[in-house]
Amino acid sequence: MAVNLPEAALAHASEGAFVLLLPTDAYIAGGVASVALTVLLIALVPEARAHGMFGARRIASAGRWRGQMVTSALSAVLLLWAVSQGLAGTQDPVRNPLPLLVWSGMWLFLLSGQGVLGDLWGWLSPFRMTAALPGLFGLRPLLRYRPRWGYWPALLGYLAFAGVLMVHIAPTDPDRLAVMVLGYWGWTLAGCLLFGPRWLLRGEGLTLLMRLFARLAPLRRQGGAWRLGLPGWELERRAAPALSLAVFMLLTLALGSFDGLNETFAWLGWIGMNPLEFTGRSAVVGQNLAGLLLAGPLLVAVYGLSIKAGLVLIDAGGFRQSFRALAPAILPIAFGYHIAHYLPAALVEGQSLWNLLRTLLGLPEIPVTTGFFNRQASVRVIWLSQAGAVVLGHVLAILMSHAAAIRLHASHRRAALSQAPLALFMVLYTLFGLWLLASPRGA
Amino acid sequence: MTEIPSKTKTGLISPTRRGALKTLAAGAGAAATMPLWARYTSAQSAAPIKIGFGKHATGIGAAYGRWYERTSVAALAKINAEGGINGRPVELVTEDDGTDPRRAAEVLEKFANQSDCDVAFGTLFSHVVVGAAPRAGELKLPYFVVSEGHHVASGMLNRWTLQPGITDVKSQISAMAPFLTGTLGKKVTMIYPDYAFGYDHRDNLAPAIEAAGGEVVAKIAIPPTETSFTKYFPQIPRDTDVIYHVMIGPAVLTFVKEMGEFFGPSRPEIFGFIDSLEATDLTSPGLEFLDGTYFWEGNPRYLQADAPDYVKAYRDAVGLDENGASVSDPSDVSTSAHMFGCWETLHIIKAGMEAAGYQSTADRQKLVEAVEVMSMMEAGPAHPQGTKMFNGKTHQVFGPQYISKVEGGKLSVVKTVPYEETIYPDEVDYTSMSF
Repeated sequence: MAVNLPEAALAHASEGAFVLLLPTDAYIAGGVASVALTVLLIALVPEARAHGMFGARRIASAGRWRGQMVTSALSAVLLLWAVSQGLAGTQDPVRNPLPLLVWSGMWLFLLSGQGVLGDLWGWLSPFRMTAALPGLFGLRPLLRYRPRWGYWPALLGYLAFAGVLMVHIAPTDPDRLAVMVLGYWGWTLAGCLLFGPRWLLRGEGLTLLMRLFARLAPLRRQGGAWRLGLPGWELERRAAPALSLAVFMLLTLALGSFDGLNETFAWLGWIGMNPLEFTGRSAVVGQNLAGLLLAGPLLVAVYGLSIKAGLVLIDAGGFRQSFRALAPAILPIAFGYHIAHYLPAALVEGQSLWNLLRTLLGLPEIPVTTGFFNRQASVRVIWLSQAGAVVLGHVLAILMSHAAAIRLHASHRRAALSQAPLALFMVLYTLFGLWLLASPRGA
Repeated sequence: MTEIPSKTKTGLISPTRRGALKTLAAGAGAAATMPLWARYTSAQSAAPIKIGFGKHATGIGAAYGRWYERTSVAALAKINAEGGINGRPVELVTEDDGTDPRRAAEVLEKFANQSDCDVAFGTLFSHVVVGAAPRAGELKLPYFVVSEGHHVASGMLNRWTLQPGITDVKSQISAMAPFLTGTLGKKVTMIYPDYAFGYDHRDNLAPAIEAAGGEVVAKIAIPPTETSFTKYFPQIPRDTDVIYHVMIGPAVLTFVKEMGEFFGPSRPEIFGFIDSLEATDLTSPGLEFLDGTYFWEGNPRYLQADAPDYVKAYRDAVGLDENGASVSDPSDVSTSAHMFGCWETLHIIKAGMEAAGYQSTADRQKLVEAVEVMSMMEAGPAHPQGTKMFNGKTHQVFGPQYISKVEGGKLSVVKTVPYEETIYPDEVDYTSMSF
């Protein structure tokens, strides 16, 4: 992308060259200061205000959704067509409908839309229809899904998906992608045959990821009404997630972070790869796989230590409960990273997607341009938008974790104190995220 | 070195070139000179000729891939409008090589075994070509590369891999030396990235400079991961007449900006390779310092005042404005110094297939042999970059090199080095190798 994935950084002087000319040190300082200031302010606001932060206002009543099964079936038909095109159509990934729909349409745009607009995936997921299929034929689930399995199967599915995204040497190759999509689809169908539609909620990583990000949207349906609140309000109203779900939430940030890190000069230097002569994904399969597998445990460890340190500060126990209750606060950071990381790719891929639509309508293609990476003014706007997404994600994370801590520890003061190590972690993570954006990239 | 104003290039056909042309025409031109109807009726098959295009669609070469494709599509539109090849239409079968040698080798297999392509074509980055070419040899698939690497002419590849449409870096570099020492100054300091790409320049320029009566007074190698350069500039000897720079990558603009800050208004002459700033707008911030400096260009990016009609036709077909950017977005600067090679290579494939009487994949060897006997390629609609001479033994073409001066944010050609002055002794004879 850049690529299809943003992995298509450019060997010539382009966006990255202009970023290096921007006063990013000052921007980074400003971003980090904003997050640090949020930490201070949240500790100083009156307790009542802090409690009510994530309240939601009822906007209108909402009836039952109708037609989601129809749109899901249409989406499944579209995906089937795209798969057939992947196998038999042009193998140019910027023209074949399959990589465009999967990587650009779903991964770049739809996942970004989830966090802002809500659960579009509920309408557009081809798997919803898939899950209903056995029931239509009168088939009952063959096995019972054990509660103790939690969300671990979904976590494995998500890891596999990330493996294709970050490690596979040709994730956008249409015919190989077609086989992988069919494999994932078949796996999902098998899960639904065995365990029923419940599989989508517990065992299917993409749907779980989509649903989690959708809970960040400010406008949500709840209790038969549309309600509007601070982004993430719905997550704040829910019970603490199960341990497996909490780990899944942390994994979204870990993988998103590694996906940015593995393109930087710094990472390429560490693994002994010349960033000016990056020899392709096939040369870094081992390194990317190791990073993919280690990023999660590393982040879980650092997060866990921050939680533990906070509990030590207020002399409290309940590590497991805190670990779970504070994990949703990581989601807005991960979502901010997703927006920031994929914005440049989306600007290019959006054009290819638009061209696909034009081609289907019989209109001529418009030449895809990357001219906006060649002007200082537009590169500045793009960079500041990316940085804005990272900073806003962290600010929201600070607010969400504080609200969760108040519930855990009952007192505003104790909550603030217990949050100090996690807040420090988030401030440093802001620094890391903005550094990633400002770093020269070579892969 | 003689200067040849580009507008008279077509007029300067020496007797030997004419002789060579006739020789070529005897074999290659026979089909081409027939009336169109005769060619179509003589075609044994109306099925399209398939050219497998290994495109850098993803990976670090994506910007080049996009322009290579635009140029190739334009060239095939022209070729098809003129009757195709041997009366058959020609089509591009595009596969993404990911700018990755392993994938490029897989792509060649797909061309040979799945999509039934007649030849393979494309691909710029040297490591991709070097990684894929052995597979072309195993598959006995003619592989026409547009890479400008010296790996073809150095003898490290095979009989099935040819580079007839773009000159190689060795001839480009050595051709610059007489201008550097003769016009800019005798004492040269080189600044280059500290890896193979930089070493190509270091190892080829220094002997050429000495042969031309100059001296390389310093060689400053910069680590590839470097993003700040101020600490290197004090290493430039005070008596330097010319700085020769070939920095590439995202830190290029920073490099130029810091060099400008270091020297201020009193700078030595500066000469660079446009590879540094390919697809980058010369009016970008930080590049003001380059005004009055010189660049090698593989093909002029900016439309020159004296450009012949066939150059204009080429640029119009690809969709370039006067600044070498896309007509649909003036900020989308092309990879002008390299992509012309796709246009020319596709025309050579056409000429070769027609000379060989190419009918099917069974004639692949005949095609390679037909290209190997090519020699002169006269400037014109098929060769807008200029008159070239193909060396069948080394599978490498030699062509003109352009030296341009930055004036007001644009590049104006100040000197054209003709192909004769870019030739170096053969390092291999592929024609003595078996197929």
